[in-house]
Amino acid sequence: MSNKKKIVLAEDNSTLSLLLKFRLQKEGYDLFIAADGKQAIELIEEHTPELILSDIMMPYISGLEVISHVRNKLEMKVPIIVFSAAGQEEMVLKAFNLGANDFMGKPFSPNELVIRVKRLLSS
Amino acid sequence: MDSSTVRIILLIIHILFFIYAFSVVFSYIFLSFISAIESSQYLKRNSFVNYNEILSSTVSPSISIIAPAYNESLNIIENVRSLLSSHYVNYDVIIVNDGSKDDSLEKLIKAYDLVNVNYLINYQVPTKPLRAGVFKSTNPAFEKLIVVDKENGGKADALNCGLNISQSKYVACIDVDCLLLEDALQKMIKPFLELTDVKVIASGGVIRIANACEIKEGKLININLPNKFIEIAQILEYLRSFLLGRMAWSRLNGLLVISGAFGMFDKKIAIDVGGYDTNTVGEDMEIIVRMRRRMEEENIKYRVAYIPDPLCWTEAPDNYKILISQRNRWTRGTIEVLKKHRKIGFNPKYKLLGILSYPYWFFYERLAPIIEVIGMLYFAVLIALDNVKWDYAFAFFVSAYLFTIMFTIIAIYSEELTYHQYTKKGTGFKLLLVTLLEPFVLHPFILYAAIKGNIDYYFNKKIKWGEMTRKGLSKTES
Amino acid sequence: MNDYQNILEYFNQLPTLVKVVWVISIALFTLILGLIAYLKILRINLRRNEIKRIKYQEIYEEHLINYLYAGDNIDEISTEQREFINKMKKDISIEFNRNILVAVMTKLVNDISGEVATAIYKLYTETGLIDYSLQKLKARKWEIIASGIYELTQFEVKHVYKEIEKLIKHPHKEVRNQAQLYLVNLFQFKGLKFLNDLEYQLSEWNQIQLLEILQKFDNQEITDITIWLKSTNISVVEFALKLAKVYNQFESKETLLELLRHDNKELKVQTINVLTYFYDTECKTYLKSNFHQSSESEQIAFFKLLENVAENSDEDFVIENISHPNFKIKLAALKILKDINPDKFNYLEIAKNNTDAKRIIEFIEHN
Repeated sequence: MSNKKKIVLAEDNSTLSLLLKFRLQKEGYDLFIAADGKQAIELIEEHTPELILSDIMMPYISGLEVISHVRNKLEMKVPIIVFSAAGQEEMVLKAFNLGANDFMGKPFSPNELVIRVKRLLSS
Repeated sequence: MDSSTVRIILLIIHILFFIYAFSVVFSYIFLSFISAIESSQYLKRNSFVNYNEILSSTVSPSISIIAPAYNESLNIIENVRSLLSSHYVNYDVIIVNDGSKDDSLEKLIKAYDLVNVNYLINYQVPTKPLRAGVFKSTNPAFEKLIVVDKENGGKADALNCGLNISQSKYVACIDVDCLLLEDALQKMIKPFLELTDVKVIASGGVIRIANACEIKEGKLININLPNKFIEIAQILEYLRSFLLGRMAWSRLNGLLVISGAFGMFDKKIAIDVGGYDTNTVGEDMEIIVRMRRRMEEENIKYRVAYIPDPLCWTEAPDNYKILISQRNRWTRGTIEVLKKHRKIGFNPKYKLLGILSYPYWFFYERLAPIIEVIGMLYFAVLIALDNVKWDYAFAFFVSAYLFTIMFTIIAIYSEELTYHQYTKKGTGFKLLLVTLLEPFVLHPFILYAAIKGNIDYYFNKKIKWGEMTRKGLSKTES
Repeated sequence: MNDYQNILEYFNQLPTLVKVVWVISIALFTLILGLIAYLKILRINLRRNEIKRIKYQEIYEEHLINYLYAGDNIDEISTEQREFINKMKKDISIEFNRNILVAVMTKLVNDISGEVATAIYKLYTETGLIDYSLQKLKARKWEIIASGIYELTQFEVKHVYKEIEKLIKHPHKEVRNQAQLYLVNLFQFKGLKFLNDLEYQLSEWNQIQLLEILQKFDNQEITDITIWLKSTNISVVEFALKLAKVYNQFESKETLLELLRHDNKELKVQTINVLTYFYDTECKTYLKSNFHQSSESEQIAFFKLLENVAENSDEDFVIENISHPNFKIKLAALKILKDINPDKFNYLEIAKNNTDAKRIIEFIEHN
């Protein structure tokens, strides 16, 4: 049994998701990649990760619904960071209302993300 | 009557038929040509558009999706989910439950945590009264949803109710069982925002056939070509009509109809002209004609735009009985609309609308089935009198058939060169096979339905009115 | 041979018209055969290209990520990275591959900032992709020029701005649009200088795009918008009004008040909307005195403004408009009355035939 901390990453931009996966694996985390909200929920239910990273706009099920599902249906307290694009301020507010812990506005710096991930996972 | 008069009359009839046939061929070639130009320009113009930049909630205009529902209990939850997942930000979804007798409302309340709310309606267009009232969700994830429960009044009445409820600048009127792609709203709103020299009053979308496609949770996962002949034949029909016909008419700014299954309107204009007409079965065509007419009469430079991208997918009839009743209704709708707006036909005051669009619709849509039947009867008489010139008949028949085939193949080409939705191996062969057979297999049914529509319209008032009241929006009748 | 001769004989004795029809039919038939054959080839090619595209996309994605993590120092290019650059240089001489690589890089650069983004810009220059984009600017077809500008924008190539500025007056709308996006993406508010002497109309779509881009940046120091508010180009004024609202340009209020006297009705409505957002009270007197001459949309906009800033002194004016034929004005008037004089609102006598007003009052009371 590995003691690596598990992270589910839901992001429909495959290149970005690959980049972040490499980066976070380098930092010693165990990554599970979902290309849409539906896969994300499946992975979350299967692996009960220590952290969830999720884009707000995704095919099939939006990031908002993923948060809602995690907090209300699964009743998990796992920290969630959402990614949002410019002009989605309203969505970000909703994400916080639904129980997101932090957000990163796209475009963001992967280094900054790593710092925030570490902060959330160490506390 | 001596034989020379008869001969002259017959000659005139022959010449008229010939002119008609020739003009059909010519107009089809002309429209294909125009549509090719417009398609290639449309694709070029939109090849590097970043639709994400237009999503912002603060500045982009508001849109309401209005979807009337009548006894849709079976799929309503999924359908609403699909409508709620658009990537546009500043929009809401208004589901108008048009006096459904099933448990649609209860299902919606349960699935989306709805509660009855106090909602002040501005009755700008008269409609049937509300039944259970207006509902909204308590869950912020479904904040965009408004459900209205009203007494049954038919599709047009339900759409009008949605127009009254909507607070948005634009409305997208759709059939609730349609599946919209996530970027549909951005693409449809673009012409309204993009053109500076003319006023865009409406934009129409393409309807694609979803039979046999894999759909999960209101999302299109996989596009498949159906297996049944009747379904593939309708796909060909839709390709011809949407990718060749309407594309060309939009280029000429002569589009007379926007599919009722997916169209976007400037709400203010739609309300100013009085909303949808509840007295016709062709309400989708009627409102466009009326809006255009108003613009022409007020001398406003305007445009009805058209978006050829495959954004809206719907289930088409998969048996002849339902297909015939659908086409019967379309025929009656066309007759009613053309009759109601007779004034614009051949009237130069209405410019292109009066001298090109209306006549085209009148001769090649409205009269085509009638002329075809007359031709067949005439031919039958000639056979009976053993007076057929087989040399002529055979040669013309072969060339007409070949021409039909070629036109369909051009439609397939325009699909392959633009959107290429049917990517799987073997579908090309199937499409071609159906192309060859369609004139003999599907066409007779379409012709029969059109003739029946004419008969029902003129001689069967009871059916006409009977259907008015029970005219719902069941899936099969979309 | 006999058959052939029979057919030929039959054909020769036919009337001319029928002959013509047969010739047409044969031509159509040949054409159809040709089209069918080519359709087969077309479909095979489309399918192959799609498979190839996905394959290369995956390859390039992985290469790109490896490249980005291969360097230890962002200012230096490691040997490993140099190898990748050389390989790419060869690949991108084929247009198909070049487009895929650009697409992959664009997709990433859209969502990423900081060091990684800088590294990608550098890669764009080092591989020579930049030269292809620059070459496109000289093309004759507008769509190629536009896509060239688009690429230079994505990879933030600032030093070619002089070339792009020239294209801001290009006859084709899409080229102009891309040029504007370039300038604003790379130079933010400074890039808006082209508005000063813009002759073409800026579409609503363009305006939204430009605003979206401006809002992406941390530096929100806006330049003076007065010159644009005073522009003779209506669309520039519209855009400036949007800027005024988004960037809270209270200092431009004087100019806004002048705009209330503009000839264009739609512009006046938009100006009132901005003033509403500013909770402005100065404009009230003028708008009240002009109320009856203004269009219905202006009247509605004014009542929206009053909803924010009405005082007791507005009571008479508001009561006057409770029976206004427009529903929205009626609603606003009644709401305002309830705010400024609840007693009066409670004992308001409404004409019997004014059913809308009754419904509105009931609604307001229950909310």
